[in-house]
Amino acid sequence: MMQQQPHGVAPDLAQLQSTMHAIELACSSIQMHTNSAAAEATLLSLNQSTRPYKLCQFILDNSQVANARFQAASAIRDAAMREWSSLTGDDKKGLIGFCLCYVMQRASSPEGYVQAKVSSVAAQLMKRGWLEFTVAEKETFLHQVNQAIIGIHGIDVQFSGINFLESLVSEFSPSTSSAMGLPREFHEQCRKSLELHYLKTFYCWAKDAAVSVSARISESGTEVPEVKVCTGSLRLMLQILNWEFQPNVTSAKAGINVFSPGVRSDLTASKRSDCNVAQPGAAWRDALISSGHVGWIVSFYAALREKFSTGRYWLDCPVAVSARKLIVQFCSLAGTVFLSGDEHMQQNHLLQLLSGIIHWIDPPDAIAQAIESGRSESEVLDGCRALLAIATVVNPILFDHLLKSIRPFGTLTLLSNLMSEVIKVQMTKRSDDETWSWEARDILLDTWTALLMPVDTSAGNTMLPLDGINAAANLFAMIAESELKSASASALDEDDGDDYLQASISSMDERLISYALIGRAAVNVTIPLLTRLFSERVALLHQGRGIMDPTPTLEELYSLLLIIGHILADEPEGETPLIPNSIQSDFADTVETQNHPVVILSVSIIKFAEQSLNPEMRAAVFSPRLMEAVIWFLARWSCTYLLSEEIGESDLHLLQNSRKTLLSFFGEYNQGKSILDIIVRVSVTTLLSYPGEKNLQALTCFQLLHALVRRRHICSSLVLLDSWRALARAFTNEEALFLLNSVNQRSLAQTLVLSASGIKNSESANQYVRDLMGHATKYLIELSNKSDLKIISQRPDVILPLSCLLERLRGAARASEPRTQRALCEMGFSIMTPVLVLLEVYKNESTVIYMLLKCVVDWVDGQIAYLESRETAAVVEFSIRLLQLYSSHNIGKISISLSSNLISEANTEKYKDLRALLQLLSSFCSKDLVDFSLDSDESQSTNIAQVVYLGMHIVNPLISLELLKYPKLCHDYFALLSHMLEVYPETVGRLDSEAFLHVLGTLDFGLHHQDTEIVNMCLRSLKALAAYHYKETTSGNLGLGSHATPVKDPRGDMQDGVLSRFLRLLLQLLLFEDYSPDLVSPAADALFPLILCEQELYQKLANELIERQVNPSFKSRLSSAFHMVTNANQLSCNLDRMNYQRFRKNVNAFLVEVRGFLRTV
Amino acid sequence: MSDEEHQFESKADAGASKTYPQQAGTIRKNGYIVIKNRPCKVVEVSTSKTGKHGHAKCHFVAIDIFNGKKLEDIVPSSHNCDVPHVNRTDYQLIDISEDGFVSLLTENGNTKDDLRLPTDEALLAQIKDGFAEGKDLVVSVMSAMGEEQINGLKDIGKN
Repeated sequence: MMQQQPHGVAPDLAQLQSTMHAIELACSSIQMHTNSAAAEATLLSLNQSTRPYKLCQFILDNSQVANARFQAASAIRDAAMREWSSLTGDDKKGLIGFCLCYVMQRASSPEGYVQAKVSSVAAQLMKRGWLEFTVAEKETFLHQVNQAIIGIHGIDVQFSGINFLESLVSEFSPSTSSAMGLPREFHEQCRKSLELHYLKTFYCWAKDAAVSVSARISESGTEVPEVKVCTGSLRLMLQILNWEFQPNVTSAKAGINVFSPGVRSDLTASKRSDCNVAQPGAAWRDALISSGHVGWIVSFYAALREKFSTGRYWLDCPVAVSARKLIVQFCSLAGTVFLSGDEHMQQNHLLQLLSGIIHWIDPPDAIAQAIESGRSESEVLDGCRALLAIATVVNPILFDHLLKSIRPFGTLTLLSNLMSEVIKVQMTKRSDDETWSWEARDILLDTWTALLMPVDTSAGNTMLPLDGINAAANLFAMIAESELKSASASALDEDDGDDYLQASISSMDERLISYALIGRAAVNVTIPLLTRLFSERVALLHQGRGIMDPTPTLEELYSLLLIIGHILADEPEGETPLIPNSIQSDFADTVETQNHPVVILSVSIIKFAEQSLNPEMRAAVFSPRLMEAVIWFLARWSCTYLLSEEIGESDLHLLQNSRKTLLSFFGEYNQGKSILDIIVRVSVTTLLSYPGEKNLQALTCFQLLHALVRRRHICSSLVLLDSWRALARAFTNEEALFLLNSVNQRSLAQTLVLSASGIKNSESANQYVRDLMGHATKYLIELSNKSDLKIISQRPDVILPLSCLLERLRGAARASEPRTQRALCEMGFSIMTPVLVLLEVYKNESTVIYMLLKCVVDWVDGQIAYLESRETAAVVEFSIRLLQLYSSHNIGKISISLSSNLISEANTEKYKDLRALLQLLSSFCSKDLVDFSLDSDESQSTNIAQVVYLGMHIVNPLISLELLKYPKLCHDYFALLSHMLEVYPETVGRLDSEAFLHVLGTLDFGLHHQDTEIVNMCLRSLKALAAYHYKETTSGNLGLGSHATPVKDPRGDMQDGVLSRFLRLLLQLLLFEDYSPDLVSPAADALFPLILCEQELYQKLANELIERQVNPSFKSRLSSAFHMVTNANQLSCNLDRMNYQRFRKNVNAFLVEVRGFLRTV
Repeated sequence: MSDEEHQFESKADAGASKTYPQQAGTIRKNGYIVIKNRPCKVVEVSTSKTGKHGHAKCHFVAIDIFNGKKLEDIVPSSHNCDVPHVNRTDYQLIDISEDGFVSLLTENGNTKDDLRLPTDEALLAQIKDGFAEGKDLVVSVMSAMGEEQINGLKDIGKN
């Protein structure tokens, strides 16, 4: 129905009318849900028709159906974006002009969404042409907008004008712009141009509009229409202040690299909270600072606030909300907008704002009360946000100082009082639904974090002034009280929500970190406080034993341990954390070690933990949950304090006082070893005496023991401890340890083996590992030699110890280190035969198979780099046998079951096995890259590439396309494949045709995958393959040989060679399908060598495409575009870096030029 | 699940024991478990606590390996559960009789004729079609707690 309208000829009225009716009908039937498929088709054809502008304008002008007008506007946008390059300058300007006039003329229309749509279409078209229009052309449009905003055409038009600018600014802002199918550079240039030349002007227009209506608003007693304009202007101003201003980069190359224009120092700051620091730069000083504009907005809000003080609803009115948001945003103003030498400028600015904001938050108790009795909380929340914004841009001293000129106390005191008040409200109302106090608390915590942990560390001073420290101490006491209260109140909850330490820590983590910052700001007070709270609770437990229910106290101790852990030490993940600064420096005058508050607190917790060794105490007090907190604390604490390596007896005097005291007290020559002994004994207890408590045991294995053996220094003390040796002995023969679950089993084995690094003598280290793992290898060998193996193998009481030992072997294999490599290597070789026997016996027991495979994978991964060539050959032979065996058991196997659930489980198991096998092959690949073996005898060495291809040849048939739908398997498979093709393309040429076709079949699959990374890997493989073939054939070799030439398939049809097939595929993909823009460059890299290999075919395909074009102008554009791809930028036939780069550029230009019309024709 | 009920049988016929006790905490996903006297495969294990400061308990979701029905159980993780002895044996398929029984070749050369074909149409079709096409089929038979069933099929001609 959408006939092509010949260019320039006006379609007749009747035809326009009838089409309009069809569209209207479609719109209403979509709304009524009748016949919606047909209706959607009608609308789609409107969107895709050629030059629908006359028709759309007709509909916009005449239709009574709002939805139809909406659709028409959207059709104009789509068509113009698509056909932009073929429109004349007048067409383009005509469309923008039409849209602008439309919104202005119908400014009072009740269908706001149509107006907004047309306005945004105008903005998008304007942006599309932004770089081609002359300044004068742009001025013409903007003049029209300015006239509207000044208000000479009335309120509604004024509002429409502001509305249009909002759309325009949001189109130009990178984070909110709409896609136009153009490269990022385009958007970047538009952004820059707007920021430099227009943004400030827009801001001033909005400001003037707001000022012009403000008097009328504050005078009138009722709601006047001007409010709409005022709200819109304030919103636009806020939007502009939220713009991501780029600092001026003056270097000559600034224009080239659009992706990283200068380093933005505030990037991390804005990430941390929702506070967006505004840095508009010096050019904005007159508009924002010196004009007294801030004073106006503050007093405007204050006047309205005064006037409507009785109306509670008013605080949530749009105009009030927008004004407050703008004020908050002004608080975060920073950078060169203030004169750099003049500190007072920023201070005055902030003071001016604060003197307005203070009424929102002070006095805190009265305000909290008012809110509890029904007042809106939005104002106080904005007040908190303003404090956060100020805290983000100034240091704590200045922050505190600000308020002192208008109040008898500093801002920090206010902050502390406000937050205490918020916490009080929270304590009185213990409910799960998030009330205002939760939100306020989070914002205020962020404020403290911003003050105490500034992102920009060069600013230096984070020390609080004296009354700030007091404020922090008071607040912390309040926080501790509230946390304890909520802990004891929740102790008897059955709620499973945060029953687990990990879960509760991660949900509380942000909060705990902020608490810790506040606590650390006043360590002199807070640490003794925590010591007191802790010992009170412990005393209470002892007194109340057998008399009262200890649960609330247990929960309080649990909370306290978490809080104390966060204050005393930082997160041990990654690097070794140091003692927190404030703890290092703030206790300078404490001399006696025994009386150091941190020592007292730490020792009292460790002594408490030690009581868990007593069975009676354990049963009465140490619940699994409390034990989790104890273990967590010990892990965190010991990373920072225990047996620190930096302390040699001699250089103690170099350190700061407090730090020296602490590190030497917990060091090697003082209490360190005995504390380590306690920690080990407590860990052994959790492993042996808490049967089935997986989480507790996981914590012990992963957090505590792992952290200990990671430090060699501690290992050398560990291996000398009787308690550690006892653990090692228990590991080999204590039944309870066989009951640990599989991951813990693995982790414990790994930990014990790793501790061998503390044994100085290499021979005894290896002997230690042999003793440790001997029981496991022995069991495997004996089991595999049993004559009745087949009968007993499937008994649960055989499978259980076998699985346990396999996990241990795997754990040990992961602990591979140069010092104990010998022992682990022997361990692996001794179980090779048993592994193959068991693989056969358990072929139907998928869980055992998986453990066997993983054990081998981890062992090979750990050992491969060290193996001598003879050993490598043996391992290779073993692995290939393993692959063959696995393949022979599984190929052609179908599991059948009534339960679809079990079938899918079976598939998942298959996927996991295959993934393990691919990992095995990948570790072989690494042998060619990293090799520590000593021999250099080339003759014996194994050809790794061939081995891996052989392996892939065995494994590949098992990997069905169905299984490749598992993302991880898919990823591993293509990672391995692309590695192989890139590094050893010559070997792939020698594959037989079936194997080769399978490999390429999966490549084909991968190219159409949704995951960009997988497509990327496939493109890299293709590039490698084609480049190899091209290089080989040009130097007279075979290259891929017969694989690349056309063949007859069994039916006698000619089949393309593989390269031709991929050339077709890739062109199809690039021109017609959807893909991420990130893929254009890798696709170009693959396309280039493919074209060089198959030049004739490429010409043929290009000609076909050109011939298919009906429209003569498209035809000529396409053919010249094709010409440019291969000829522009002095492209030559060499596959070097320079040429790849040129070709990438050409392809980019080519796609921008033709993809728009090719895809829709 | 009490631990006392199940004594290990005497050494002589240890293989005949139908179930074994095992600590609930050690039973993991994809392992076997007896729930309501049925042998099941565990598809989901989660742990929770009896009250905040209580002991851990395991929540098992498992599927009956023979009839595909879903069963659930909650056991304190330090207690024992029953684990079925699940045996898998491969036999070559010799014949399918009209009354729905299969004839299988055992390892020592005898035939085993007491096993029914699955009743489910789709599973039945998989076996019948394969057999009709003349493929060399090996069926894998799963047995536990006195029941047995065909649960797998493999075309050994493909090797």
